Amino acid sequence: MTVLRKERRGDKLERLREFWYIYSRNKLGVIGLAILTIYIAIAVLAPVIAPYDPKARIGSPMEPPSPKHLLGTDELGRDILSLVIYGARISLLVGVLAATITMIIGTLIGILAGYFGRFIDDILMRITDLFLVIPGLPLIIVLAVVLGPSIWNIILVIALISWPTTARLVRSETLSLKERMFVNASRVAGASDFYILAKHIIPNVLPIISATMVLNVVNAIILEAGLSFLGLGDPTHISWGTMLYFANRQGAFLSDNPMYIIAPGLALVGIGLAFVFISYALDEVVNPKLRREGI
Amino acid sequence: MGLREYVIRRLIQLVIAIFLFITIMFFIFRLMPGDPLSLVIEEFAIDPEARERLIKLWGLDKPPLEQYFIYIRNLLTGDLGVSFVYHEPVADVIISRKLLNTLALLISSHGMAMFLGMILGVWAAWRRGTAIDMAALTTSLILHSIPIFWLGIVFLMIFAVKYRLFPLAGTITPAKTFENIFEYIGDYLWHMFLPMMTITVIRLGSDFLIMRNTMISVTKEDYIVTAMAKGLPEKVIIWKHAARNAMLPIVTLAGLDMATVVSGAVLTESVFSWDGIGRLIYEAAIYRDFPVLQGVFFLIVVVVLVANFLTDLMYAYLDPRVRYE
Repeated sequence: MTVLRKERRGDKLERLREFWYIYSRNKLGVIGLAILTIYIAIAVLAPVIAPYDPKARIGSPMEPPSPKHLLGTDELGRDILSLVIYGARISLLVGVLAATITMIIGTLIGILAGYFGRFIDDILMRITDLFLVIPGLPLIIVLAVVLGPSIWNIILVIALISWPTTARLVRSETLSLKERMFVNASRVAGASDFYILAKHIIPNVLPIISATMVLNVVNAIILEAGLSFLGLGDPTHISWGTMLYFANRQGAFLSDNPMYIIAPGLALVGIGLAFVFISYALDEVVNPKLRREGI
Repeated sequence: MGLREYVIRRLIQLVIAIFLFITIMFFIFRLMPGDPLSLVIEEFAIDPEARERLIKLWGLDKPPLEQYFIYIRNLLTGDLGVSFVYHEPVADVIISRKLLNTLALLISSHGMAMFLGMILGVWAAWRRGTAIDMAALTTSLILHSIPIFWLGIVFLMIFAVKYRLFPLAGTITPAKTFENIFEYIGDYLWHMFLPMMTITVIRLGSDFLIMRNTMISVTKEDYIVTAMAKGLPEKVIIWKHAARNAMLPIVTLAGLDMATVVSGAVLTESVFSWDGIGRLIYEAAIYRDFPVLQGVFFLIVVVVLVANFLTDLMYAYLDPRVRYE
């Protein structure tokens, strides 16, 4: 028994090493990971890095960039650089949390539909398809108005709209997994449905949907930014989307400080890029067919 | 199961799905905090008597369930109600005021993105692995992470503010008299250019990726190898043999995109003050204009489901196996 355990642990380490070997050959994946590390560091160390308290009015309104305020100030006289730095926290929080909830809903629905089949599958997939084809943003706007502007509601709404892609993917993986030898063997040995799902199906499905999970983070970050840009965001938190909302309302693109618009936007593009690159690399790791030399 | 039975079963499913969707949406709209009147009254300062009349007129004095039955009854007679904000029939607001603007913007930008995406995708797939292909691939990944509204503002900053090549907002120059229809169309297109470019650029990334990936898998097919072995010119193989077959997924996706086309581009339309369905949805949500929201979502769900229904029918007609599923 102990020998078996040890072997298994060795196995896992070996697999992790192999995973890293394949992943690290993907240049874009490594770049994405590097950018993400920088963003996480900025989010965690925000109080140390930010030159000013982001909520304090420390200058006159709409100052252009200067040595004192590298990116200038906003309409309330707050330091834009500090606001951008603190914005990393909200974007990462929204992206990761919304993607996690999306994954939980999508996996649950996909597994139930794929594993139990029949009318459960029929009903769940009809709902999934409807959500898949109805444009997301109008629904998100309506739900955001219903629930009211808070960062937690936004996360919830994004997850409620984003799960269908994951559900579809999980369902098709479950369908093929449940007919495999080891699952059948387990069933014959008397394992319960719950045991099979927890021990065999879920652990095998998760790696395959990993690329989609990471892509969900980008989509959530961009959706939050879009909602906040429309003025439906949480006004009590600093996010790059809310910054762009106020910048746009102030007509910042007409003023002499374009950084008010450029900086939060570039911050958004950077974090999106990190996750898109990681997702792209993950896709190659789990789908060997996509692998190629060079990139 | 014959084709006729299949069609009837699918039709029943279609009607049930539309009915369920509009029912759920009706009650979700009623969950919005604040009532439509308070917002209208604040803006137009209506006296209490008029307020009472409006409440009666809009049927807001009745319980939600009764409102719902009235809504369904009116819907069956083709009456979508009257907008709280525009004070016009919802059908008129959607169709004669907004839909055309949205269709013009979205069909042109989606069409252009699809066209360019296909050409670039074919071209990159054929040079798979070269520096140019990798550059195109990386660019399309970057496009995926750009928020569309931000790109719109940046375009405004560069082309409308700095170089003054295009207008800042709107669909037409206000208070301008046009000599003839061509001048009007010219002005309209001039206003449409920046929002159109914004949507095209963002969509181009995903269209390119899809086309490139399908093209790569098509080029591995035996008939391409055969064509090469026959010594056909490369151009003929690429365009006549490979690209034609690689087009299918992207064309199918364009069909599924009907919903996006009728629901407009909320963010882009907001940035450029383009007077389309997307902005209408946003404004209706803010002003609690229930009839307009109901109307737009009804339009969306009908377009989506009918498009799906027609696709299924086509498949069932072409591939009899579908019917026996």
